[in-house]
Amino acid sequence: MTLKSKLEAGNFAILAEIDPPKGVDVSMMINNAMKVKGDVDAFIVPEMSSAVMRMSALGGAMILQSKGMETVMQVCCRDRNQLALQADILAAYSCGIKNIMALTGDSPTIGDHSQAKGVYNITLLELIHTIKILQTGRDMAGIELTGKPEFLVGSTVNAGLKGNDLEVELEEMNKKVEEGTKFFITPPLFSIESIESFLNVVDHRKTKIIPTVLLLKSVGMARYMNRNMNHIHVPEDMIMRIQKAADKKAECVLIANQIIKNFKEEGFSGVNISTIGWEDKLPEIIKGI
Amino acid sequence: MIIADKKPIEEIIEAIKDYKKILILGCNECVTVCEAGGKKEVEILASALRMYFLNQSKDVKIDEKTLERQCDHEYLEEIRNTVENYDSILSLACGVGVQFTAEKYHSTPVFPGVNTCFLGATEERGVWVERCQACGKCILASTGGICPVSRCAKRILNGPCGGSSKGKCEINKDLACAWQLIIDRLKALGKLDEYEKITPIKDWSTDRAGGPRKVIREDVKQ
Repeated sequence: MTLKSKLEAGNFAILAEIDPPKGVDVSMMINNAMKVKGDVDAFIVPEMSSAVMRMSALGGAMILQSKGMETVMQVCCRDRNQLALQADILAAYSCGIKNIMALTGDSPTIGDHSQAKGVYNITLLELIHTIKILQTGRDMAGIELTGKPEFLVGSTVNAGLKGNDLEVELEEMNKKVEEGTKFFITPPLFSIESIESFLNVVDHRKTKIIPTVLLLKSVGMARYMNRNMNHIHVPEDMIMRIQKAADKKAECVLIANQIIKNFKEEGFSGVNISTIGWEDKLPEIIKGI
Repeated sequence: MIIADKKPIEEIIEAIKDYKKILILGCNECVTVCEAGGKKEVEILASALRMYFLNQSKDVKIDEKTLERQCDHEYLEEIRNTVENYDSILSLACGVGVQFTAEKYHSTPVFPGVNTCFLGATEERGVWVERCQACGKCILASTGGICPVSRCAKRILNGPCGGSSKGKCEINKDLACAWQLIIDRLKALGKLDEYEKITPIKDWSTDRAGGPRKVIREDVKQ
């Protein structure tokens, strides 16, 4: 069952983020993905997240697809102008990538090539619009294409916002829906309570909201996120659980597993599991889901 | 200086058509020199708008004022006591002036009356040309005083590219190839050895890559 048909049928989808390597040795990426092939509905392949240079999402996604795994290729506004974006989107479709997720992309300033120029020729909404246009069989210049792609299009929504910020986010979310976005990935969520304001206005049983479940690796990581990352909140009792556990890694995996079960019970459309380097823990994280 | 060009009057009218008391605010600096937003242009625009509103049978008050600069607090303070008489300001300053005015007078809508184009010079009366992109890291010392960042269509630092032909750029046959100009100039200066040196990849973090920029001078800061 494809990701598209699974989401359309209202079944719970399991997505996992899997970074392409910083280099050309793809064995670890493939091995980690192969361990959960069949259990994960599709792998989200990030486009140089945090502006750290690595193999492209297109390359990573093509490699996974060639091993029989479905992917969601990320595409962002940071590194390419209109020509390159359209060219790579067409290439992706012809190489078998049927799911695409559009983002703005972190500024190069925060990455490992801080002297690089950000492109940002088009905005995120314009990128989503571009994907819509391409699917009509024309390019941004209105010129006819030979054949047209057909994607399941996703994007991001920051469900942790509140007040005015949330209003602006919801307005943008509506525009994304109008432009053909079918599912939304949230930043890491550790509890449903943290997005109460969002859920008061968005029916997550109707709109395909897919929370990101981030595998905590340590107490330090949890505390760091609480201190430094806006709109991400790791509950204190969760941190204490890790602190008190004899096997902290196992406890972190168990917490991720329980969060996923919780989201499933609450009727979300799926989850996006982010393990940032601990992809080998994926089989345990999705056990029994 | 900053080069600006007048906005089409239709665009200006569309922006201000619902206001009744409009102050047209000129700037006595760059936009005066490039004849886009100085006292003279304020007068001409004010007359045109008065005629337009008269034809529309609309009672709209249009006043004129030209400040020494709109990018300095002290000059913008000059309208502090009169700004409340207006429901909008049409600024003919560059984008900096428009924003500084808007920041200073929070509750008054401020509209731009010109398009801010580039950093340039007057080649001849009525012709202004781009000479600088304010990239934050000047390399003119090694390029014979000719800037490839602002004058080469591809902004390449080790040119010319394959599109240079008979001293002209591939994008426009009337446009001089910046790298041809650089080579000619270095030759005239007897410094062609400079051309042989490979310029490393440019650090764009001093350009817009690093986000909005700021220069802080502790020695002159008060």
